[in-house]
Amino acid sequence: MVGLEHYLILAAVLFAIGLYGALAKRNAIIILMSIELMLNAVNIAMVAFSRYIVPLQLTGQIFAIFVMVVAAAEVAVGLAIIIAIYRHHKTIDATKIDLMKW
Amino acid sequence: MFSETVFTPLFLPELTLLVSAVVVILLDLFVKRKWWLAAVSIAGIVVSAGFAIAMWGGDSQSIFFGMMAVDNFAIFFKLLFLVIAALVILASTDYVAKFARFQGEYYALVLLSALGMMLMAATTELISIYIALELTSISLYILVGFLKDPKSTEASLKYLLLGAVASAILLFGMALVFGFTGQTQLGEIAAAIQSLSLSGVVSSPGLMLGIVLMIAGFGFKIAAVPFHMWVPDVYEGAPTPVTAYLSVASKAAGFAVILRVFYSAFGIPSWLSLDWMLIFAILAAVGMTVGNIIALTQTNIKRMLGYSSIAQAGYLMVGLAAVSFLWESSYRGTVTGQGGLLFFLASYALTNLGAFTAIIAISNKLDSDLIADYSGMGKRAPLLALALTLCLISLIGMPPAAGFMAKFYIFSGAVQQGLLWLVIIAVINSVISAYYYLRVVKVMWLGKPASATRVPSSIALRVALAISCLGVLVLGIIPGFVMKLAEMAAQMFVS
Amino acid sequence: MPYQLVWLIFLLPLFSFIIIALFLRPFLKSQPKTAGYITIAALTGSLGLSVWALMEVMATGQPLPVPDITWAVVDGLTIHLGLLMDQLTAVMLIVVTVVSLMVQIYSQGYMKGDAGYHRYFAFMSLFTASMLGLVLADNLLFVYVFWEMVGLCSYLLIGFWFHRPSAANAAKKAFIVTRLGDFGFLAAILLIFFNTGTLDITQLHSLAATGALAGTTLTWAAIGIFAGAAGKSAQFPLHTWLPDAMEGPTPVSALIHAATMVAAGVFLVARTFPLFSHSTEAVTTVAVVGGFTAIFAATMGLVMTDIKRVLAYSTISQLGYMMLGLGVGGIAIGIFHLFNHAFFKALLFLGAGSVSHATGTFDMRKMGGLRKIMPWTYATFLIASLSIAGIWPLAGFWSKDEILASALENQPVLFILAMITVFMTAFYMFRVVFMTFGGSYRGGDPEAHGKPHESPPVMVMPMVVLAILAVVSGLWNVTGDFGAFMGHGETHSFTEGFFGILTHSLPWISLMLAGLGILLAYAIYSARWLSAESIGGMFQPLYNLFLHKYWLDELYEKVFVGRVLLKGFFAGLQGFDVYGVDGAVNGIASGAMATGRAIRKAHSGQLQLYGLFIGIGIIVIVACVYFFG
Repeated sequence: MVGLEHYLILAAVLFAIGLYGALAKRNAIIILMSIELMLNAVNIAMVAFSRYIVPLQLTGQIFAIFVMVVAAAEVAVGLAIIIAIYRHHKTIDATKIDLMKW
Repeated sequence: MFSETVFTPLFLPELTLLVSAVVVILLDLFVKRKWWLAAVSIAGIVVSAGFAIAMWGGDSQSIFFGMMAVDNFAIFFKLLFLVIAALVILASTDYVAKFARFQGEYYALVLLSALGMMLMAATTELISIYIALELTSISLYILVGFLKDPKSTEASLKYLLLGAVASAILLFGMALVFGFTGQTQLGEIAAAIQSLSLSGVVSSPGLMLGIVLMIAGFGFKIAAVPFHMWVPDVYEGAPTPVTAYLSVASKAAGFAVILRVFYSAFGIPSWLSLDWMLIFAILAAVGMTVGNIIALTQTNIKRMLGYSSIAQAGYLMVGLAAVSFLWESSYRGTVTGQGGLLFFLASYALTNLGAFTAIIAISNKLDSDLIADYSGMGKRAPLLALALTLCLISLIGMPPAAGFMAKFYIFSGAVQQGLLWLVIIAVINSVISAYYYLRVVKVMWLGKPASATRVPSSIALRVALAISCLGVLVLGIIPGFVMKLAEMAAQMFVS
Repeated sequence: MPYQLVWLIFLLPLFSFIIIALFLRPFLKSQPKTAGYITIAALTGSLGLSVWALMEVMATGQPLPVPDITWAVVDGLTIHLGLLMDQLTAVMLIVVTVVSLMVQIYSQGYMKGDAGYHRYFAFMSLFTASMLGLVLADNLLFVYVFWEMVGLCSYLLIGFWFHRPSAANAAKKAFIVTRLGDFGFLAAILLIFFNTGTLDITQLHSLAATGALAGTTLTWAAIGIFAGAAGKSAQFPLHTWLPDAMEGPTPVSALIHAATMVAAGVFLVARTFPLFSHSTEAVTTVAVVGGFTAIFAATMGLVMTDIKRVLAYSTISQLGYMMLGLGVGGIAIGIFHLFNHAFFKALLFLGAGSVSHATGTFDMRKMGGLRKIMPWTYATFLIASLSIAGIWPLAGFWSKDEILASALENQPVLFILAMITVFMTAFYMFRVVFMTFGGSYRGGDPEAHGKPHESPPVMVMPMVVLAILAVVSGLWNVTGDFGAFMGHGETHSFTEGFFGILTHSLPWISLMLAGLGILLAYAIYSARWLSAESIGGMFQPLYNLFLHKYWLDELYEKVFVGRVLLKGFFAGLQGFDVYGVDGAVNGIASGAMATGRAIRKAHSGQLQLYGLFIGIGIIVIVACVYFFG
């Protein structure tokens, strides 16, 4: 029987994979995708909590929808900035974008 | 009932700002003289501030089905953000005139992010807090990259990617808190936590993890160590007016939301508040020390102020830590900690804006942010140098500038709550900080000017600078009025 | 006259600063003299009002009821902007306004033609205003505000000739070292506030008197205040900034680093004295630190060749005396010495300034023979030297013997140190007198302008006024009037009058020690050549000549070796000063810098590293919460 804890474990694993990708991948677009993965992990947790803890309300589902909307906006801005980065740095390798340090 | 909740007059300050942002974008298409855009933005801000002032002093009210509060606390912050936005717009006019296009977008984004911050200070429900925070952040991501040169875009990318990671972490924390309480309303979360009748953190690790993740998410906004790493890079790369804006408004919004969330949702039982108080106290100590020590070695003034703002966030967190002992101490019912925090934010906002405004004027002429290039600025631009000196003195926390009263106030709160060790660390840090702030003063007044040419500045910028400096002096010399306002706003915490 | 006028004592110099800074400097740059005139006019007004205030306080015997205004309300605490116009303040007002006025008049000549003439007088006005604010303030918070203000002005004025790197460094050092002490003061303020809920000085006095503020709290508060006072008044081990501060213009040294600001520490202890007098530990600390500083600084004064540095060490030593006086005797004894010292020490500095004005140097080895060339400077300098050496019946004698008598009564060990210091003081002051004014002129600064000459009347006049004060200011307490006025009926006062004091043995001992010091200085620095010639002429026989020569050689060698040894020893002490104490201060600074350079490497510009820090931060916090929560 699949219970709340399974969903939460799935969410935690997805979140961890996303965090790993965001910290370890070099391509800025993949980093952005990894962050999306983290947000989706949160969505799973939200919906699962909502379904099991307060089944009569839709709080978690609504939260998830808002998160998706905001994430879409974030990705739009993110892609635009990555394009601008490519124009100036001729690369989207996150480890090579270090003009400013110390 | 429907019409009343959607079109409540209590929402007018925000609505006005939204409308003026839209008007500015549209106006950009038609007008040739771009100073109209700044004028319309300022007008919108003034009207919005007028509405906000009209609501001041009333009883706390709740609108939009309890998602937003209209209380003195929210109004205090709304006015603070509006003043900051107005000053930033005034200081930007020169700077923005350098862009051929997108001036309307610039002003609109400043207004929209201000709107987001106003909502951050007012919302009382997790979903709307998240949306307000993202409205602010996304506007700021774009503003940081507005210059479209290598440094600016790099700053923008770093800010965006790290900001997104931080908000994912914040969301995960919110999800956990929601999961363990079944609520998203701050007040109901508090009630749910009480009804769980937990005995300590170990009895509910999930909830505690959620709270820690939320601290990390908000800590990113306020530049708390170790979530601060983006600050120097972003401050250095962003257009200077945006740096000024980021350093004060975004930070103040972060503190507003932390105060409200942690007080309203996690205030009781007392072991819980003791836990997060201690976390903030330690973050404060680490933040002050790290910020100040690295600032000692900086050569770029924007980057130095970036580290300085990390340190200032540390001082501010001393105020956060002082908030929560309320239930333990004999000073229960006083709001020195909270009032001190609000007063510190106001004085820090004026001080940093003043400093950055002077830097904008100087870097417009010099095209450099290196401290060494400020040599002899006392001769080339005596008034700008004088204003910058005043602001730096205020950042050190020396009388008669506002920073002194602010530190005195916030440290008083901390001592009242028994955090003497933290205050000692803070005072030692203030002394360390004097060294690097005074270095700039020394270079400006005692260095040899590189050339004899004067440094020009526009009227709007001078007005912004004059208002900031006047504010710094007024808050330092006759702080009573603003203290009164801060305490009225902080009364939310004891009522 | 209405008592609101007391406000003007503080406001007049402040107005002078505002007028000079905001109006004269931008608009009347071609007429620099106006800045000086405005400062002098403002200070004359302040002086007149101070005299009037002193008369009123004397007549009523009570603090004047000056109306106050509300400044700020912090969480139930109302901070009034008020003035405390009591006996102590009245005395301090006279000191500050008299010395400041004389120094401003003198500066008209000394700073003539300087490019920063406006700036100089603006800062001087601001300093005087802050100093007056400091002595008038009726609560500790305001004392602290003005305390920092005078520090800031001192910083600006030490670095006045900023084109000299040494001046800029000295300014920074002064600022940083005094701030070390200021922590203590600030911590004490916070401690007092949260234990009593008030910072009002009068209330604190009564709280300490009734025992409401007592025990360790009181002791720590007093020690914290004393830490601040030690920084400002250059007491061991925070004294190192003062000799370096001599880089500023000499009138600045006279006003700030001799007579007023450095005395602010002594004033602060006196102001909060009830806190000290109810804590044996605190009052002993004051006495011991003061007594030790007095002798420690005097030893270093013995070997300096820069006239201003001798005076700087002398100032530290005398401030130590004042602290000792407070520690063993009480307010009246310490403050009486402060009162007298202000005049003769300011005069000594003005004299040194006058000498360097003539010779272009502060190095005494290049001076000499100025007695004939600069008779006025010589006469006034001599009077001041006699006064500081404690020669009857000059001012220094009266206050110094009070301190010695109280020390004998309460702290015999410190009394012996103080007695040795009396000898040293006389020696080093007369070493200066003989090296500077005696003998023949040794050329001055080779690049200086022509022949040395007496200073213009505008510089001589203030010196004469101060010389008169250096003679008579001590007479105030000849029959114990000063002690009675301060309201602390001292038990150990010599109140037998002008000649009556000589019926005691203690004054004779100290006079003899001082005389011995003068004699030794005379023997070494002035009479050595003279005696060699006359003895050579008197003793004709060869045997005697050999013997005489032998004796001279031996004496010479003794003096030489003795001096070298002495020099080595005291130079060693000074080395400890430079490398030990300064080294610690610099070490902390460079340690912080090194740490900063190390930590900043973490900001590698790699955004994913930044993200990693967020992750690690969360893990650390979670771990802490679980293990310690």
